[in-house]
Amino acid sequence: MTSSNSINTNLYTLFRDLRERRKELDCLFQLEELLHNQKFAEIPLEELLKEIIRIIPSGWQFSDAAQAKILFKENIYTSPGYIETPWRQTAEIKIHNTVVGELVVSYNREVPKSAGDYFLKEEDQLINAIADRISHMVLHKELKIVYHQWQEAEENLSRKTPSEWRVIIDLLQSSNARLFMYLSQKMLHYLCWNGVAEAKELLQQTGAGMRNDARKPLPLGDMNQPSRKESMDRINTINNEIFRIASESLNEDQVLFLIRQWLEDDKSRFLVKALENPNSSLNDLLNAITRFHYLENEGIRVSRAIEKSLRVSMVRHFLSDQLEFIKIAKGHILISDYYELVKGVIFPARSHGKLGGKSAGLFMASRIVNHSQEYHELFGEIKTPKTWYITSDGLIDFLHYNNLEGVWEQKYKEMDEINVEYPNIIQIFKNSYFSPEITRGLSIAIDDLGDTPIIVRSSSLLEDRLGAAFSGKYKSLFLANQGSKEERLEALMDAIAEVYASTFGPDPIEYRTERGLLDYHEEMGIMIQEVVGTRVGNYFFPTFAGVAFSNNEFRWSARISRLDGLIRLVPGLGTRAVDRVANDYPTLIAPGKPDLRVNVTPDEIIRYSPKHIDVINLQTNTFETIEVNQLIKNFGNDIPGIQNVVSTARDHLIQKPTSLLNIDFEKDKLLVTFEGLLQRTDFIKQMRCILDVLEKSIGTPVDIEFAHNGRDLYLLQCRPQSYSLNIQPAPIPKDIPQNKIVFSAKRYISNGYVPDITHVVYVDAEAYNSLPDMTEMKTVGRIVGKLNKILPKRQFILMGPGRWGSRGDIKLGVGVSYSDINNTAVLIEVARQKGNYVPELSFGTHFFQDLVEASIRYLPLYPDDAGIIFNESFFTRSDNILADLLPEFASFADTVRVIDVPRSADGLILRILMNADLDEAVGIFAEPGTRSPEPVERKETRPRSAEDFWRWRYNIAERIALSLDPERFGVKNFYLFGSTKNATAGPGSDIDILVHFNGNDAQRKELMLWLEGWSLTLAEVNYQRTGYKSDGLLDVHLVTDEDIKNKTSYAVKIGAVTDAAKPLPLRTPSS
Amino acid sequence: MCAKNYNAFETAQAQFDRVAEILDLDQATRDLLRNPLREYHFSIPVTMDDGSKKIFKGFRCLHNDSRGPGKGGIRFHPQETIDTVRALSMWMTWKCAVVDIPLGGGKGGVICDPHNLSPREQERLCRGWVRQVAQNVGPLQDVPAPDVMTNAQHMLWMLDEYEAIHRAKYPGFITGKPVGMGGSLGRTEATGYGVIFTVREALKEMGIRPEDTVASVQGFGNVSQYAIQLYTQLGGKVILVSSWDQNDQQAYAFKKNSGVDLKELQEITDSFGGINKDKAKELGYEVLPGDVWIEQEVDILIPAALENEVNAETVKRIHPRVKIIAEGANGPTTLEADKVIRERGIFLIPDFLANAGGVTCSYFEQVQCNMNYFWEKDEVLGKLDTKMTSAFIAVSDLARKKKLYMRDAAYVIAIDRVAQACKGRGWI
Repeated sequence: MTSSNSINTNLYTLFRDLRERRKELDCLFQLEELLHNQKFAEIPLEELLKEIIRIIPSGWQFSDAAQAKILFKENIYTSPGYIETPWRQTAEIKIHNTVVGELVVSYNREVPKSAGDYFLKEEDQLINAIADRISHMVLHKELKIVYHQWQEAEENLSRKTPSEWRVIIDLLQSSNARLFMYLSQKMLHYLCWNGVAEAKELLQQTGAGMRNDARKPLPLGDMNQPSRKESMDRINTINNEIFRIASESLNEDQVLFLIRQWLEDDKSRFLVKALENPNSSLNDLLNAITRFHYLENEGIRVSRAIEKSLRVSMVRHFLSDQLEFIKIAKGHILISDYYELVKGVIFPARSHGKLGGKSAGLFMASRIVNHSQEYHELFGEIKTPKTWYITSDGLIDFLHYNNLEGVWEQKYKEMDEINVEYPNIIQIFKNSYFSPEITRGLSIAIDDLGDTPIIVRSSSLLEDRLGAAFSGKYKSLFLANQGSKEERLEALMDAIAEVYASTFGPDPIEYRTERGLLDYHEEMGIMIQEVVGTRVGNYFFPTFAGVAFSNNEFRWSARISRLDGLIRLVPGLGTRAVDRVANDYPTLIAPGKPDLRVNVTPDEIIRYSPKHIDVINLQTNTFETIEVNQLIKNFGNDIPGIQNVVSTARDHLIQKPTSLLNIDFEKDKLLVTFEGLLQRTDFIKQMRCILDVLEKSIGTPVDIEFAHNGRDLYLLQCRPQSYSLNIQPAPIPKDIPQNKIVFSAKRYISNGYVPDITHVVYVDAEAYNSLPDMTEMKTVGRIVGKLNKILPKRQFILMGPGRWGSRGDIKLGVGVSYSDINNTAVLIEVARQKGNYVPELSFGTHFFQDLVEASIRYLPLYPDDAGIIFNESFFTRSDNILADLLPEFASFADTVRVIDVPRSADGLILRILMNADLDEAVGIFAEPGTRSPEPVERKETRPRSAEDFWRWRYNIAERIALSLDPERFGVKNFYLFGSTKNATAGPGSDIDILVHFNGNDAQRKELMLWLEGWSLTLAEVNYQRTGYKSDGLLDVHLVTDEDIKNKTSYAVKIGAVTDAAKPLPLRTPSS
Repeated sequence: MCAKNYNAFETAQAQFDRVAEILDLDQATRDLLRNPLREYHFSIPVTMDDGSKKIFKGFRCLHNDSRGPGKGGIRFHPQETIDTVRALSMWMTWKCAVVDIPLGGGKGGVICDPHNLSPREQERLCRGWVRQVAQNVGPLQDVPAPDVMTNAQHMLWMLDEYEAIHRAKYPGFITGKPVGMGGSLGRTEATGYGVIFTVREALKEMGIRPEDTVASVQGFGNVSQYAIQLYTQLGGKVILVSSWDQNDQQAYAFKKNSGVDLKELQEITDSFGGINKDKAKELGYEVLPGDVWIEQEVDILIPAALENEVNAETVKRIHPRVKIIAEGANGPTTLEADKVIRERGIFLIPDFLANAGGVTCSYFEQVQCNMNYFWEKDEVLGKLDTKMTSAFIAVSDLARKKKLYMRDAAYVIAIDRVAQACKGRGWI
């Protein structure tokens, strides 16, 4: 039985193979017949292509299910009832090595696989052969046309010819009425815009004029009524008239140029239409873009205006409809940039979704960097990992497909309910299914990504929006992506479901509630990104990775400026740099001052070098944290670029290895220092360039995530630099009464807002220095350590002379270790003038990294600087509760003063506001619990350049002028002068306005009242923006005709030779 | 200078005065030894990375070179003062004298914070320092070494500049260099071993066999680890070590009555001496609060971590069984505690004798450099043993014969040796 069965099987296979061979031959034969037909020359190309489409399916194994599509230039030809499916193969149609189209053969249903594929090997050859034949045919036809045209042109030349463009127009008039109409319309508008009187008249007659013809004024409501259709004859006459006027007002070349331009534009109109149609689905758009791609290869060029509007529409459809974003993106993302992107977009049927914030941010950033000359010249292309995207409506599709819509109500439930139900939601989501479109897309994605580990990241529409940084609120999941395709696909879908579920988790909901974003319908895009890295042993990880910031909020030396930026660098996956991890430290580098290290002595370098590394374990399919030393010991030789990461520590000498050969991974004591990276490579320069380019283009400081596989740098994320709540720049009010200010500072200020300080530990400089011996001084350190354990955590501050934690001479600062101060909210060093020098402060360097990781603020005070307030008597004369807290140290009461702030300040607490933008900080007495001034949203606290201050004022002045009714107020002219006009206005400047007034007293009163309203409102807005408070922002001066005549008062400013007041346009008188 | 102000130099002088009183030194000797012989104060111009110039203030202070070239570190510290440098140079004189190595005392420094300087700027600063004193330092005059915030790299830059100026190789100009670049083998072990060499001699004098003793060690850094190694080799049993836990920001003690196993502990220790307490528990250690090291029922206490750990409070907790305290750390005992220890008759091996293994090895480094011949580790450690042993015997002999407290005896010997040298040279 068995043997007979197997014979049958073999026979069947043979028969089937032969049959397929025959089918293919038949198909090719039919094609040749068609193309060698005598009438070939007369059949239009279009007909031929349609015929080819009809023939093609017969050549395929499952002819009944086969269908064909030819994309050629701007046209698409398909088999009847053609549908897009994933079972498809394609071949390019090329002329002179340029792709001009594409041939697609697909099955309209899933067919059995043969040798692991839906298509036979022979079918691959067949489709290529057909595409080839089509190419030849097209070329042949085109050559023929050119040949004919040439002949015709020669004949024409021999006669006397009308102008070249005339030929085109005539030709179009007879052959393509639509295009002809389009051109004449364009021409008419062009002529009108350029003020050709005759054209205007014509427009009157044809367009608006038509309505006048009706001899009755139209009521407003009828404006939307379609204008009447004119008879073809009349239209032709008008059109001819248009071109006559054109020929008279413009020269030949101009007309020709315009017509060419518009003809080109017309070719891209399908794309404009698709983009502008709000009903276009993503699929329509993708088709349109693909077509446009081929046309571009053909050399189509669109006008700048169309290019711009295309770019805007593309951004709006794919990336974001936030104006802020569009404004930046349109200048940097070219249409061609989308070609690669769209190939990796997975979306539900009839999708209108976008890619989400994270995807959009990264895509834009990579375009900005790559299109920037600075970067490109030095470093070439910046890489981004291969990425697939699921559009934001994928979540809705998922919920819909599984009937889970009820889950939307989750966000309105009580927090504890949300907490309890969240784990169940995860389980439900994980046991749900994806719609066939998404599943198919993911399957293709998995094939494309192979078995490289991937990360599934959320890319929510809310995420990374300006003003709301959802950093880390939604999940990102690493997948080892190992095993069979089914297993990998399963794991991927599981991960996506989990990321989807995280939308309904307590954390994001709480965060959104706080930010007033709860009612915003959350849609979540997904990024499926290849993990950058190398396989080493059973692990997979990048050689190093990290985050970088344009602004450095943690300066460890006075020589580092805020603009020097900050990089947090770790070996392996960047997770350890993004999140703060207990007991381990990333390497900190200020790219502007890379040589000023946080850690200088070998002890410090050893203590603060990264000890752990995050990796993906390919064997267990898990994300793991392992010891970096062990990893290097075992696999050092296999890690690319390891010689730039580690240094050897021998005999107290920490040195970067001169080469890989120089490292004995088993025996050497190795430390992660990145010394080689800093000294031997351009990495820092490269990072700095990226940060600069991005900041300049986006117009705000940015933070980026990156990874490096030892060969190439990859950009992983980019967004406006975010500040966690307690390191936002705090607005500093200008109207604080002197007696409420405890201290002020204007040097080396970082950001911070420390609202409720109840206790101050103040080490008196003089008393400390007068202690009789070292032991006593050391005791002060111990007292501080004890207070640190007793006082309410993060509600007290430590203030001391000179350098906290001084390791050398204890005389110069209180000797403490990090554990003695780890509960303080702020560490303050007070530098008093001593003779003619002010001691250098430590900037917390001894435990700088600990401070950073624990978010303890550091603040240096220079009480003897000019203009600085330091309420010394509060610190030295308030009741000292040291003896109550630590009776055994009562004798140190002169040196260590512990002040219960509410007790000493009538129930008030101490609040510290630190603003790095202004380089100012202040400690004030405030009512407990009040949060005034509110830390403003990041959007408002974006560091402003000097330019922002005046530009904002200038725009405001213009707006005031435009909204001022000159008749009502008796205003003749409106001028701007002073700092706003001169572009020197700062955050506290007012706006100087000069009004040429010729009205009566009542008008004067009304005008002043009206301007006062503006003034107060603007003062409030300015306070919100900068923290500068004022009674009004406008400084208004009225001048009369007489003043101007006599040049008295501020009238001298008008028409002055130097520094003249600038007139602003007023509203045109209301009719 | 305000008399009330704490001043390291005044403290050092006061200590000297007390011993001078015991020794009944004549006025000239006192006047000579109370102050440094020579001091150099100079400005070091440095071109910063941005092209600007910055002037740093530098010092080198030679307290006494009657017994040989000066020896002492160079400190980089933002609030360095000449008085600190003076005090430290004086202590170096006594330290070299107590172990009887033919070197005097020196110290130097620069007012700067290396945290504000790039490596290139630090290099220029080091070279600038050498250029200012190149004529007054050298293998036969005054030999610098690493100290606060300076390290082997700085030493190599300085050596290079020195050799460039003098147009010859002088590896003995400076110590603290890496092995292979003029450094000595055995440096890592030297201090810890040195502590145990003195402990061994103390036990010998007391007639106790090391194998009959148990010890408790505070700290698990370099000094402790090698001390434990050698002590265990001698047959002793360490039942407890304490170590600082970076994660918890507090110290823990690890106790095993059958004796701790150094190797197994080292395997679960991070690079700065923190023992993993979970793994230690698995290995059968009892994990206790860090401060119990002092109250153990042991024969020997070795404080080898921080200053002031044996103070008026903790000293009361010392178990009656304790016979020896060997100060591995610098200044672990406060003045009040010192009195108690003395009264209770516990045998104390003072810090500048017990941990002099380090400076002795520096001396060996210099000796090897000067002859340009480098010993094997065994030879270094063998010679270290000889040196430490005889130093100990001299101090303890004196203490016994003159009924002096060990700390006083050590100072007496040191100062007396220096005074004799000065006399011999006819200076006084």
